Amino acid sequence: MINLADLQGNILRGYTKKPHVRYLILEVVDRSAARLWLAASVSGRNGVPQITSGDWGENKPDTCFNIGLTYEGLCALGTPSASLKMFPNEFVEGMTARALKLGDVGASAPEKWPAPFNEPKRIHLIATIYAEKFEQLNEVQKRALPDEKAFRLLGTREGYNFPGDFVHFGYRDNITQPRFEGVHDPERYPDRQPRAPLGTVLLGHPTNLEGLMWRVPHPVALGHNGTFNAFRVLKQHVADFERYLDRAASYLLEHPQGYELLPRGEEEKIGKGPSRRAALREIVAANLCGRWRDGTPLALSADAPDPNVDLTDFDYVGVGDARCPHGAHIRRCNPRGGQIVQRIANNSRRLVRRGVPYGPPYNPDGPLYDPAKPYDGDEPERGLLGNFIGASLGAQFEAMSCDWLNLGLQDPRITGSNDPISGTNDPGTSWFDLPLKSGDTIRLHGLPEFVSTRGGAYTFLPSLKAIEYLGSPM
Amino acid sequence: MPSDEGVLDRLVDWVHTTDVFKCVASWTLVPYWARRTPVKPLPGGPHPSFQHGDNVQCMMNLIMPLKVKSPIGRAEAALAIAKNKDAIYAGLNNVGTVHFARFVIVGDNICMFSVYDGDFTNYIRDFIATIGEVFNEVVKLVEGGKKVIPCEKNVEAFIQWVHEHDLYQVPDTATDFLRDQEDLKGDRAVSPVDDDLTLLPRKLVLQLRANANISLGSGYRAYPGFSVAQVRKHLKLGW
Amino acid sequence: MVDTSTAKQLVQAIIDNLEQPVPGRRPVHTIGVGVKGEFVASDVACTYCIAEHFNGKPVRVSVRFSNGLGGVNQHDGWSDVRGMATRFHISGERGSDLIATTLGEFFVRNVDDFFEFSKIAKREKYERRPWWRKVWDLLQLKIPPRNPYPDETKNVDEGALRYANRHRFAQLGIFQVGLIGAPESYARASYHAVHTFWVTAPDGVRRPVRFSWQPVAGVRNTDPKAVPRDRYLFDELRDRLQRWPARFMLMMTIGEEGDALDDPTKPWPGTRIRVVMGTLTLLKVSEDQEADGERISFNPNRLAPGIEVSNDPILEARLGAYEVSREMRGGCPFKWR
Ligand code: HEM
Ligand code: HEM
Repeated sequence: MINLADLQGNILRGYTKKPHVRYLILEVVDRSAARLWLAASVSGRNGVPQITSGDWGENKPDTCFNIGLTYEGLCALGTPSASLKMFPNEFVEGMTARALKLGDVGASAPEKWPAPFNEPKRIHLIATIYAEKFEQLNEVQKRALPDEKAFRLLGTREGYNFPGDFVHFGYRDNITQPRFEGVHDPERYPDRQPRAPLGTVLLGHPTNLEGLMWRVPHPVALGHNGTFNAFRVLKQHVADFERYLDRAASYLLEHPQGYELLPRGEEEKIGKGPSRRAALREIVAANLCGRWRDGTPLALSADAPDPNVDLTDFDYVGVGDARCPHGAHIRRCNPRGGQIVQRIANNSRRLVRRGVPYGPPYNPDGPLYDPAKPYDGDEPERGLLGNFIGASLGAQFEAMSCDWLNLGLQDPRITGSNDPISGTNDPGTSWFDLPLKSGDTIRLHGLPEFVSTRGGAYTFLPSLKAIEYLGSPM
Repeated sequence: MPSDEGVLDRLVDWVHTTDVFKCVASWTLVPYWARRTPVKPLPGGPHPSFQHGDNVQCMMNLIMPLKVKSPIGRAEAALAIAKNKDAIYAGLNNVGTVHFARFVIVGDNICMFSVYDGDFTNYIRDFIATIGEVFNEVVKLVEGGKKVIPCEKNVEAFIQWVHEHDLYQVPDTATDFLRDQEDLKGDRAVSPVDDDLTLLPRKLVLQLRANANISLGSGYRAYPGFSVAQVRKHLKLGW
Repeated sequence: MVDTSTAKQLVQAIIDNLEQPVPGRRPVHTIGVGVKGEFVASDVACTYCIAEHFNGKPVRVSVRFSNGLGGVNQHDGWSDVRGMATRFHISGERGSDLIATTLGEFFVRNVDDFFEFSKIAKREKYERRPWWRKVWDLLQLKIPPRNPYPDETKNVDEGALRYANRHRFAQLGIFQVGLIGAPESYARASYHAVHTFWVTAPDGVRRPVRFSWQPVAGVRNTDPKAVPRDRYLFDELRDRLQRWPARFMLMMTIGEEGDALDDPTKPWPGTRIRVVMGTLTLLKVSEDQEADGERISFNPNRLAPGIEVSNDPILEARLGAYEVSREMRGGCPFKWR
């Protein structure tokens, strides 16, 4: 059994009751002051907010507080070079150096990221505050940064969980997370995927690849039970997304096989009234994601959303294989037990995801966007503050990003296409196949890039022991 | 014909095509310029790219010096491969992204050349997971291999070690070789610049001094752009 | 549309750099030979492009091979870019042109570059480099420049090199020109159309592509150390075609997102999908060289429906420049689309 009190709480918990989230992006000013601060954070001494662990005991914390360190941050804190050498390459190089692997090119290229992400070497520590009420964010921030002795605030990012776990683009998110061996996890929906070994998310434990262990940086107090996080600021082009659904719907209205996708007379089933166009839009949206916007998985209910089907208990075999597009976002990210080229990789690239939307919600009926008059001004910046957590950035987050999301190597039917939602698509060459009952497909073209990267960093999420270690006097 | 063509003229034109000149230059001029204008060895493996075509049919060219430099050492290496035929096929079929893999002994080196799809680290990691034992048996015969085996317990170090043995792939277009060198120096200047294109031969010579084994280009492909699984699927071989 | 003043300036810039004007002839690619042939598309060509000449039925083709240099002096054996301009004769007396050269990438990106290049790369005196300077080159591990050809007193090599040293985008093109040599036969070289075009498939999908001709007989250059011959390419081609037709495969490379679509100086890597679009069979050197070698006029923007230009500024500039040049030399007009 793992000692939850030694883990930072955001690794295994979603903090779902605390919808307000703020990221403080910090630079170490003074090594000793920063180390004192870390030492204080373990127990919450001297007014420094206490790091929330995975064990809440009797009393739920009012607010949660967690930290991640970049490689530069570890250096700035004076971590011994023998320890630094044991961190994996991708973490040492940092997210911006991995841009090509992650598809951060064009509008997403690190050179275009706004401050503070334009100076990645200065980002040392990212602290996250989770709160029920907005005011609490300020209060905790004040306690965390009473002055500039230990840290300088380079910037903040702030998000808010919309009710019902909806995210921009209108999908319900926060449904699937890996369930771990030996961790009691009442929050999670049961599914038929094998429980993930703890090494999927914590250093020092067996991984999903038989016999393989990731390197644990020494000393044990530093590395053991730590993990890595890819923090991503992902801008979502919501108006473009909705416009694309319009265009795809128009195309399908004319398409000779469009009736196979939506038999005449069944429009209302989709839940958007009698309009065939509105129904087709929803069908496209559902196929791009692999879930209807309400969360219903296509693998279980491909013809219409259905509040009665299970949200997670499905697999891509049999009907689930046939009716969920091979290129759908959730299938690319997690092919589950379905057939993939790299058979050895089934279930091995799983990620814990902690995301929160940022920017104002999008209202298709409001003044921002009118399908009849396509919106052509500047859309306010909105998107997702995503955290993709796993014990190996290379074997999980990066492996998923470069081979599955952006090349489609896992299935010859999608190889050469990118993820329809988060991939680096170019309308000139992008495509996506909608499966039909007959086994045929209708190919959609012209998907633009719906998501652009606007910042991010690879961080190490140290265990509480490690924070104590890093906070000890040098 | 211009009349200024004298004896010296013809001598100079002739001399630099002779092996003697090349030999002498290799011993004198090359070390001199290597000291005056040092170059770093360029990193091995395919050039990083997010584009699809560049991420299928990638080349790996490993040249690994054997510890025992004798027929016995070479035979050991041959045996290590031969007795693992089943393991190698199992890896090939289960990882599913390798077009061809070849083992070759050249001098006292065991070489492994392969054509694979997707990211290099994923490829090696998946192989460690399936046939790590074969890697261990081969790598233990190689200079410096001891410290990265068993590969299952040294995944990151092993992948790094393999990457370091992977040959630099000279770009297919000559002048991109200059771009590689500029990249390594962090020089991303655009026009106008003050280059000297006539230095290309010297730069190539010096790179080959720093990096004796290289791959000439990234390979010539008869059906570029397709993955193993796409080929198998289209040929109806199952994937 | 066509900016005639720019077009005129472009042509003038070329004319200004000639040894002597060549009234009534092309200011570049002046020396050329017209050939007749036939093109048959491959079985898959029509699935990528709806243009008529890719539908699989044999189409009549006019080809003009040329030496790149401007001027009436013929120097087949000099190292020089060669041209292969092709017209596919499609129904309604219309044509679709494809103009290619042995140079894989161009050396300027746009019209402004071209003018700057024309200024810097003027014809200059070209002499044998003195032996002591060659020794100095060798000591620096440089390769001394080649000796001038007999009769060669001026060329643009020095200026082109200066230009390349200023502009990295030009280096590939100019470096390749330096190595290009002379083919043993017009039928033994590969020719590249350099620019990106968009082709439309029957299902409406548009793809960015680049075209190249590849000789079935294979690529072969003359020995660069031998004394160059001034005239052999026409006779060689005539003799060759009398014996046996010469064939070329039309290869089409499909671009990907991230590939240079509008920049002819940037190569596409060999890892892109490559499709065989058909086979060209050259049947005979035309008897009427005045019509088929001289008056005939090509334009890279003359394209059958189903093929479109990209936004490559050089391709766009050629639209006007080739028309201006044609008018100046009294070339034969041809239907647009
Ligand atoms: C703004 C960009 C993105 C949006 C809007 C988005 C949206 C979604 C939605 C709606 C789901 C289904 C909800 C669920 O199953 O919990 C989902 C699942 C998932 N996404 Fe994303 N996503 C985005 C980016 C990414 C990226 C960049 C990655 C990975 C690198 C990723 C990895 C995953 C994974 C692993 C799942 C779970 C799939 C499963 O286990 O079935 N997502 N995403
Ligand atoms: C700004 C750039 C360019 C300019 C101003 C230019 C100008 C010209 C002109 C004025 C002619 C004579 C046309 C006639 O009188 O019919 C010509 C011919 C030719 N050009 Fe260009 N050109 C340019 C770029 C290129 C490129 C990129 C290619 C490579 C494909 C090329 C290949 C040729 C060939 C093969 C011919 C001979 C055509 C024939 O046989 O009729 N040119 N060029």
